[in-house]
Order: sequence, then structure tokens, then C-alpha cells
Amino acid sequence: MTASLDKGISVLKEMIDAPIASYFSSCVHCGLCAEACLFYTETGDPKYTPIHKLEPLRRVYKQEYTLLGRIGKMLGLSKPVSDAELEEWKPLVYDSCTMCGRCSLVCPVGNDIVYMVRKLREGMAISGHAPEGLIGASTRAVEIGSPMGVKLPAVQAQMRHVKADTGIDIPLDAVGAEYMVLMSSMEIINFPEYLGAIAKIMKQAGKSWTLCSEAFEATNSGIQIGVSDIAKVLVQRIVDGAERLKVKTVISPECGHAYTALRWEGPNLVGQPYPFEVLHILEVLDGFRTQGLLKTQGFEEARLTFHDPCQLVRRGGVFDQPRNLLKMVAKDFVEMDDTGKMNWCCGGGGGVSAIEEAVPLRLEAFKVKKTQLEKTGAKTLVTACANCRIVIEEGMEHYKMSIPVVGVTETLAKHLVEGE
Amino acid sequence: MNDHDAPIHEKNSHEFPIHETLGDSLAQQGISRRAFLKFCTAMASLMALPPGTATAIAEALVKAKRPSVIWLSFQECTGCTESLTRSYSPTLENMIFNMISLDYHHTLQAASGYGAEKSREDAMKNFFGKYLLVVDGSIPMNNGGVYSTIAGRTNLDLLHEVAKGAAAIIAVGTCASFGGIPNAKPNPTGAVAVSDIIKDKPIINISGCPPIPAVITGVLAHYLTFGGLPELDDLGRPKSFYGETIHDRCYRRPFYDQGKFAKTFDDEGARNGWCLFELGCKGPVTHNACATTKWNGGTSFPIESGHGCLGCSEPHFWDAGSFYSALSMPASPLKYVAGAAVAGAAAGVAVSIGNRIKKGTAKSAHQKATIEDLEK
Repeated sequence: MTASLDKGISVLKEMIDAPIASYFSSCVHCGLCAEACLFYTETGDPKYTPIHKLEPLRRVYKQEYTLLGRIGKMLGLSKPVSDAELEEWKPLVYDSCTMCGRCSLVCPVGNDIVYMVRKLREGMAISGHAPEGLIGASTRAVEIGSPMGVKLPAVQAQMRHVKADTGIDIPLDAVGAEYMVLMSSMEIINFPEYLGAIAKIMKQAGKSWTLCSEAFEATNSGIQIGVSDIAKVLVQRIVDGAERLKVKTVISPECGHAYTALRWEGPNLVGQPYPFEVLHILEVLDGFRTQGLLKTQGFEEARLTFHDPCQLVRRGGVFDQPRNLLKMVAKDFVEMDDTGKMNWCCGGGGGVSAIEEAVPLRLEAFKVKKTQLEKTGAKTLVTACANCRIVIEEGMEHYKMSIPVVGVTETLAKHLVEGE
Repeated sequence: MNDHDAPIHEKNSHEFPIHETLGDSLAQQGISRRAFLKFCTAMASLMALPPGTATAIAEALVKAKRPSVIWLSFQECTGCTESLTRSYSPTLENMIFNMISLDYHHTLQAASGYGAEKSREDAMKNFFGKYLLVVDGSIPMNNGGVYSTIAGRTNLDLLHEVAKGAAAIIAVGTCASFGGIPNAKPNPTGAVAVSDIIKDKPIINISGCPPIPAVITGVLAHYLTFGGLPELDDLGRPKSFYGETIHDRCYRRPFYDQGKFAKTFDDEGARNGWCLFELGCKGPVTHNACATTKWNGGTSFPIESGHGCLGCSEPHFWDAGSFYSALSMPASPLKYVAGAAVAGAAAGVAVSIGNRIKKGTAKSAHQKATIEDLEK
């Protein structure tokens, strides 16, 4: 079986639902979404207007589900969506959309544009118009278990490093633990400090936790490329693992889309409610804070600012938690302009960071983050998403900036009162 | 009839400086700039102008020469003036009198007799072509207009004379705008509106029985700021205030949409605050700002007090049947509408079923996607 236009169009017909019909019919073409999109503001090219990125989906909706559109199609007044058109739209639907959701937020008629991009990607992928980078990541995720090809031995190696550093044993496959901790491959490979930080914090909080040998990877390439069937396979792994270990709570790591995939899309993908709770690590840590389980000492002296990962703050509502936590350990915490739910994306969300041909555009779009950052005068940037972190690091390297980027969890762990 | 040559009050009250700017006048009255800006912002929002206009209004108003205003009261009840002088909102109506130089107004002026008429004539002479004429009340036409006279002259005569030099005419109240109650059947005096008589001047109708005070303030502020009249609807009323119906903006509208109606004034529906449509509310056909601007310093408006709208800002409201019978629906067009609605609904259902089948077919044709499906 191979990808084909017919299959793609059929999937789009399947995807178009009542929300999409109402979104397309209520769009007033005001163009406000353009100003909300970093790819438009940084390039000034109107083709990056978010609603325009949905043109193929809109045409399928019109031709298949509206009376006038059907008559037009019958009379040959409107051409059906073609392979060439989808290929032309590929850079718009993938390279220049991080699914950050800023456009959805500003739409005056309440159109959830990201929701539609997500659905359009389903048709794009099945008709063979997904970027190579994302196909590769999805293939590795399904076949190897992680989009970056990380296998269990790599995780076990990190567990040994943590043990050597901190003296703490990392529990693996501990049945009946309260928390099951997931990681993103980026954390396993690039930011091993995350695992060590979790180990220290869990120890101080006195909580039982575990990693799972079959489900350590939290990210979900299926969501990014837009293939629900693959996304479901990946979510199911985590559900199976959590059920086997009988954990109460699954902790989504410092990663944006993993949280969206697991917490918001997951139950719909597997078709039933989870027998466990899903929380982002920041929600868990802030919970510990309110229960008085976190004891810290000392402060970060340098000026800190926080980059809100889009999927956390805008699509997930996690806003106060990182601020509560950072205020425990930061003397000089400053907010960026447009902070919180109106924060600008790092430019690499929604799978964009995995698309090689999108790099020049992504670096162009990074200018907005650069401006935001420079204005704060911050000496350290804290965030809560490994993908944001790597994308921002790359962007800063390109623009010759040198501000260290760290995660919330590790920053907090650095200040834990030892030995309690 | 009149003896205007009588040498009484030869150099009378017009010694006071009517050319002063509004800024000077406000400063003299001890009105702070802050209070003034607040007023300008309120005006801008009332007139649905962009927020930035408030500053423009402020700048224009401060510099504006207070225009001379002549106010003529014809066949009326003085309710319009009562409305204007009884406002609790942030001294809006005080400000009117600071914004303009009110040179002639029966009810409010201190002078009487020849002195009063002279003051009008002076203003007409000194500001010919520049003064604003405000009219409240209708003009009787039957029998040469004898039914209403002032200083022995008919309203018709006076209107023609004063209108000649007016920059614009503001018809305040439903009587001046559309004839109002004097015009109600059988209309013994032959009462007509200002616009029925004067054809060569810009006329703005501020209808209502009485009209909302803020509306006239708004129109004056607009005139002073932009030097012209605001955009008007087909009945000559400012769109910013009369653009929508009472019904459109009524807080009881959700009950109308749900079909919840009070049937009498003391039934459960009335106590629950349901829609007063069946009790004769004329809100759906009445264009005015009562539901948003409200009355008595924003306290309430008639529907909020439990009574339907009378439709007082619309022409012939007095002759539109009982205030307490529900708005009637035209019979035969309704049948077509009903027929069309049924046909439309059927087509809608058919299209919807078709769409559902199409989506269903696409769904059942769904083959589970694997990674092999992604490569072309």
C-alpha cells in the first residue's frame, strides 16, 4: 500500500466535522491571524497567513459538503484538489506551522485554526505530502520506539550515570509506584540532567516513582506528522505500560507536544478514558510545592526569564506553575513581552524542528524570540520543553547570542536542600 | 403683530463674551481637564467612534468656538427639555450648555417678552449661516398655522425665518422629527415635522418621546469636533444611536429566542423577567439606544422596569395600534415565508443527510495507516 491522492482526499472528507464546517463558514477573512503568526510577522509574506495555509482543506470542504461548491464542481467551475496543489502547500502546512495556536487565540470568531491544521496534515500525510524528516521520525518512533532512535539501553546508561552522580537508584518497571515518569528522546540524549533532577526531587518529596521499559518515550510523531493511527499506536504503548505498572499518575516530561498528545488527544485516540491521571512535570512539581514537599536553599543570582512552551501555556493552560516554582529560586525573575498565553513560539514546534528544509525559515522566524529575549536583558533563559530548548539554542547560535537555556526541573533541583 | 423696533434693552445681555472658546468656558467653570477627557471618551464610545477619537474630540472641543444655538419650541409638551435637564450622568447636560452659547430657549432663558425675541434676532444677525437651530415640537399647518404662536407669530413663520440662517437643524423629539403626538389621528392642527417644511438645510432627527439626553450631547460634540453631522439612517437619525433596535440589544432577548413570554403583567413569566413581546412590546421595530444607554443615569429602561417598549422613537408610534397588543405579522407574506422555510429546512436536512453519508463512507473506507503508507 502506498500513499495516494484518493486516499488523502478520502481522509480529509472523513476529517471534516461540524467544528471545521462552522469554522470555514464563519471565517470573516479579517486576516488577524496573520499578525499572530511568527512566520508572517518575520517574513512579511502573506502566504504565511494561517487561514491561507488551510486552503486545500477549505476547498475539499466546499466542494464536498456545500451545495454551491458541489454545483460548482459538477459544472467544472472549480477544479478538484490535486497532488500538485498539495505539494505546493506542503511548506505552508508543515514547514511554516508550529501548531503553536497563537492564531487560534486571536481569531475574533473563535476559529481554532490549529485544530484544522492538525486535520489537514492527516490528508497531507496519507497522500504522500509529508516532509521526509517527519516520516523518518515517525518510522523510528514506531519501529525503534523513539523518533531519535533511542533504545532502552541508552536510557539504562543514563540511569547508571545518575546513580553515579547522585547515589540514587532509578526505579525501572516498579509495579504499584505512584508516578510513572516519561522522557523525551531529547532529554535522554541531550539533557540527561532532567532524569537526575527528577530523582533528587522525588527523593526529597518522598514519592514512589518508576520508569517503564516499554514506555519511556513521551513524544508522539504521529501527532506532528498528522497520522492518528500512528499517534494511537504510540499513545497505546504508554497506556499499556502504565496499566501494567498500575501507576496513579503518568508524568509528561518537559516537552510541549508530548503533553498535548498524551493528555488532550490521547483518550480520544485510544477511544476510552485512562485509568490513570496525566500531569505535566510542572503541574506535579507545583503540587509538591503547595504541599510543602519542596525545600530549597539559595537563589539564582543572574536575571532569569521564562519561555512558555506553546503547547503548555496556550493549548494546556499551564501558566502559573513555572512562575510559582521559579520564584522559589530566582532573585531576579523578569517576564518577556507577550508572555504567557500570548508568548511567541520558538519556531520549532509541531514537528518543524525535525524538517531539514525548514531550517532557514525557522531561523528567520526566530528573530521574534531574539527580540523578546534581548529586551529582557536576561542572563539565563528557563523553559519547560526540550524541543524549545534545542531550537532556541540553535537560533541563538545562529545569531551569535550566548544565553544559557535550562529547564525548570533541573533549576529547581539545583537548589534542593540536600539530605532531607 | 410684533413691534421689534421698540427701544427696550437696546444694548442688552449680549455684552457677555459669546466668542470665547469652550476651553475658556470650561476653565472658568472650574471643570478639570480630567473630567473633560472623561466626557470626551464617553462621547466617543457613545458614538461608536474609534477610541483614539476621544483625544481628537478633546482637542477640537477645547479650541471650538461655542456655536450660537437657537432653540425653538413649537407644538410640544416640554418633555424633551425636561429630559435634557434631568440627567444624572457625568454632568453631560451641564456640558451641553458649556459647549454652546444657548441664545434663545423659552424654558431656560431668563429674559422674556421683547428682550427674549431681541436676543434671538441678535444671534441670527451676528451668526448668520453659522448658528445651530434646535427645534422641539411639531408645526401646525391647518388654518394658516394659527394653533401655535409665539409673540404673535405662527410657528411656521418663525421656523422659516430662523431656518434661513441656520448651519444645520436639529429636530429634537418625535414631534419635531416625525410629527409625534400632535400628528396622531385625526391630527386636528395639521401637525407636521420640521423636515416636511424645510428642505434646503441639513436636518438631523433625534427622535424619542422624549429622546435620550446623551444622544443630543453626542450629536453636538460630533458637530463641534468634525464640523458636520454624523452618519444618518433613512429617517435622518444618527446611526450610532439608532442603528439597532431595542430588541437587538434587549437583555430579555434570550427569552424571546427561547420562546418564553410573559402573558400578563403579573404572571410567572413577568416575574421571571421573560420577554414582553406578547404584551405589546414594540422593541423589535423600534430603533433607539435605550437598551444600551438606558435612562436616569443608567438606572434602567422601560423593559427593565417591566413594561414593553412603546416605540416612541418611530414615526406614527401613537397610531400603531394599542401599546398592549402584540406586534402583528403580515398574513400572506408569512405563508410564503413559511413555505420557503419548510422547503429550505427540507433541503438543509437532505444536504445534511448527504453530507453525513459522505463522511460515513469516507470513514468506512478508512484503511488503517501505517508508516509504509507515508512514502509515495
